Amino acid sequence: MFTYRGGPKAVAGSYSDKAVKYTLMAIAFAAVLILIAVTVFIAGNSFTAISEIDLVRFFTDAEWKPSDGLYGAGSIILGSLLVTLGAMVFAIPVGVGSAIFMSEVAPEKVRNILRPVIELFAGVPSVVFGFFGLMVIVPALADLFPDQTPTGFSWLAASILLGFMALPTIISISQDALEAVPRSYREASLAMGSTRWETTSKIVVPAAMSGILSAIILGIGRAIGETMAVMMVTGNAALVPEPLWNVFSFVRTITSTLALEMPEVVVGSTHYSALFLLGLILMIVTLCISLVAKHAVRAMVEKSCRGDSTSRLVKLAGEDRMPFLKNAVCISFVAVAVCMACVLFMPWGQAAIVAVAVAVFTFVIGCVSRRISRVFRQRIMHTFLLASVLLCVGVLVIMIGDIVIKAMPALSLDFITDFPSDAGRSGGICPAIIGTLKLIAGTAVISLPIGILTGTYLAEYSKRGRFTCAVEYSIEILNGTPSIVFALFGLSAIVTILGLGISLLAGCITLAFMILPVIIKTTEDALMNVPREVREASYALGASKRHTTFMVVLPAALGGILTGAILGLGRAAGETAPIMFTAAVLMQYKVGWGVLDPVMALPYHLYYLATEGAADPSMQYATALVLLVIVLSMFLLANVIRKRSNEKNRW
Amino acid sequence: MVITMEDIAITADNRTAQILNGQAVSDADAYGFNNEGIDDTVLSVKGLNLWYGEKQVLFDVDMPVAKNSITALIGPSGCGKSTLLRCMNRMNDLVDGCRVEGRITYAGEDIYAAGTDINAVRKCIGMIFQKPNPFPKSIRENIVYGPRIHGITKKGDLDEIVERTLRQAALWDEVKDRLDTSGLSLSGGQQQRLCIARALAVDPDIILMDEPTSALDPIATAKIEELCLELKKRYTVVTVTHNMQQARRISDKTGFMYMGKMVEFGDTEKVFDSPAQERTMKYVSGMFG
Repeated sequence: MFTYRGGPKAVAGSYSDKAVKYTLMAIAFAAVLILIAVTVFIAGNSFTAISEIDLVRFFTDAEWKPSDGLYGAGSIILGSLLVTLGAMVFAIPVGVGSAIFMSEVAPEKVRNILRPVIELFAGVPSVVFGFFGLMVIVPALADLFPDQTPTGFSWLAASILLGFMALPTIISISQDALEAVPRSYREASLAMGSTRWETTSKIVVPAAMSGILSAIILGIGRAIGETMAVMMVTGNAALVPEPLWNVFSFVRTITSTLALEMPEVVVGSTHYSALFLLGLILMIVTLCISLVAKHAVRAMVEKSCRGDSTSRLVKLAGEDRMPFLKNAVCISFVAVAVCMACVLFMPWGQAAIVAVAVAVFTFVIGCVSRRISRVFRQRIMHTFLLASVLLCVGVLVIMIGDIVIKAMPALSLDFITDFPSDAGRSGGICPAIIGTLKLIAGTAVISLPIGILTGTYLAEYSKRGRFTCAVEYSIEILNGTPSIVFALFGLSAIVTILGLGISLLAGCITLAFMILPVIIKTTEDALMNVPREVREASYALGASKRHTTFMVVLPAALGGILTGAILGLGRAAGETAPIMFTAAVLMQYKVGWGVLDPVMALPYHLYYLATEGAADPSMQYATALVLLVIVLSMFLLANVIRKRSNEKNRW
Repeated sequence: MVITMEDIAITADNRTAQILNGQAVSDADAYGFNNEGIDDTVLSVKGLNLWYGEKQVLFDVDMPVAKNSITALIGPSGCGKSTLLRCMNRMNDLVDGCRVEGRITYAGEDIYAAGTDINAVRKCIGMIFQKPNPFPKSIRENIVYGPRIHGITKKGDLDEIVERTLRQAALWDEVKDRLDTSGLSLSGGQQQRLCIARALAVDPDIILMDEPTSALDPIATAKIEELCLELKKRYTVVTVTHNMQQARRISDKTGFMYMGKMVEFGDTEKVFDSPAQERTMKYVSGMFG
């Protein structure tokens, strides 16, 4: 009736199990190789600069004139920091406020609407943000502050834009952290007679602090690595603002320097190498940021897990040890800030008077606020939280509405099916649409097999050890690396050394490397979410590991994997920087199908039209709209798939 | 399908003749059972020690499993009964840091011997879990998965297996019109019967059940119990249960475990009515555990 030793077939099974394992391992190793390759090429190419340029002057001098042999990157590095700082001043309160509103205040229904809206926000390509900044924010600033910034191109414009771009990251991660706080904490606090706001501010937020901090740090990482939007609105003059806090000054960031100068530089020259050195600095900074996000936050979590942490946290948040000193510091901080801001508009003397007036006003408000009722205070705070959410949603609505309305005049079937003519000033964008679709398809072909199989290896086969650790670290680092660094890598390694030239293939490889971490991570998460019992059920039937993995676990996780893959590809579709040097050309008058031909791409075409093309604005808007529709429909599709698979697989 | 108490009694009587003395004394080696010469012992556990990392969980466990019988393992939480059960088809291999010493002999061979094909072992010794765990696939797919990986690919054969096993699991009438709906859409009791049908589809010899009814309501539990009695005509069943009445109702042999040791093993009636060990007596009379 049965044969105990499973016969030749089953024995062969154990061999192919091993084969599968080592194949997956080899593929996972590819992730490490990619990281090593990226690092080696960036660092290797910057070697000439390190040996030829005086590094002290590189970091401290403000004069960046490569044509005259002056490589003072001080102003550029400072520019990156200032723009990011400005963005955070605005994004942290609005982002954390929105997250608190969504998790603590909003009713279920509102929350279910807001979540996808925030995800939509995350999906808008950076070149579209840049375009919006160029068309709306820059002119608005020029109108509002004609004396300070006659053109509108400024640090402030970039910071506002970057702030909005960092918002989705901050909101979604903070919200996850807040929602992870156990319900029992809230109930315990409310049961003691605290108001909801007191519960939120003194119990829930402190308990979620580590998650909120890592959200902020990741938001900073997103902002500092951003290229296109910044490049389009800062004016790109390598200046040190005068005075240092002059937000109306032109600035130039590391990323925009790379994007602007890379295409024009002679390969192998000192200038070329200096740009790679900037790229290396950017890479190190983002690496530090992701390490801090990981380790500092972990340390904090461990600390707060020890002993009577909850009571300590509550104490920290609630108890005023030195009320007088704290108030004095707060008020003088406000005074100095106001004074600094006013100096940009008026002479020192007047600014000082305004500052003193504001300080007095703050003091009075402080005195009054202690007397108002707790319920009234809650109402005020909730209004602020609501305002921050409305700001986010409002900007998204304005941005999309603006693009849709102004795109209407140019939008027609001809626009989509025609070739461009007169250097893009008229005609259609057919080759750009086809180019973008080709890039998406090519990127999918390269990144999905590697990404999904690496994720499978990590979730199902890996054991704790050096190899796994190396793979996971590489993925972590690649995940935080800005797209412009991948662009440098694509240019130096794939286009030049591999000799693929500016081509569809080179662009796809670059984009695939960039989205690989996203696909690996989401695959791993999706597989981890498949309950252990499902695997056991399969093993108990005598299924081999490879049958269990590929016939049971992977299909069960398919929804999650697809969601991640589409989100990653959506991001690739909207990226400009990585394809700018590797795949895209400005004009094409016929569509070829060779993988070694360059392509036109929507994001790059939009960038070109908006900055140099001098095309009719409605054409630019229409191009932006087509790009938005492509990218956002991918995000929408991912959402639908996730929702359906969540409904289907209720374990 | 109804099994009368007489049926059970007859089976139990037949067993009694063949099964070794129930006069087990305190230590496992003092059981004195020697089942190797006895024909109807299909699986035997000998001197089994098991560690999770540094912690020893099973101590020198001995136990025979008789063919076409139901063997129940009882004992307080954490006594190692599920762990022992999971050793019998090497499911514990999936647990990191698990180390096993001793022998489990099935069909004359040690399943822990080097070079054993684990998948073949598990094909012959199937398992039903505490929580129903259907695959997130259709009912039909759930059942044909097993036969398919073991090389049956003809649609006709697979359809036949689907109907036969669902009938065996007393689920056919309830689901025959919706074989293509998700297995997860069934109720808990139906899911568990689907899992049993799925296990039967690979034509096992022994079925291990790890508290198969603990997640179910009394009606679903009664159905599973009835099913177990039906199953033992063709298969051998080893079940772990928290429910002593259940052990008493359906099993032919009962093993009482405590702190990783097999304290007493013997005929169910004997273990429950006149246990040799004081601890067994206290446990079955509800004084601890």
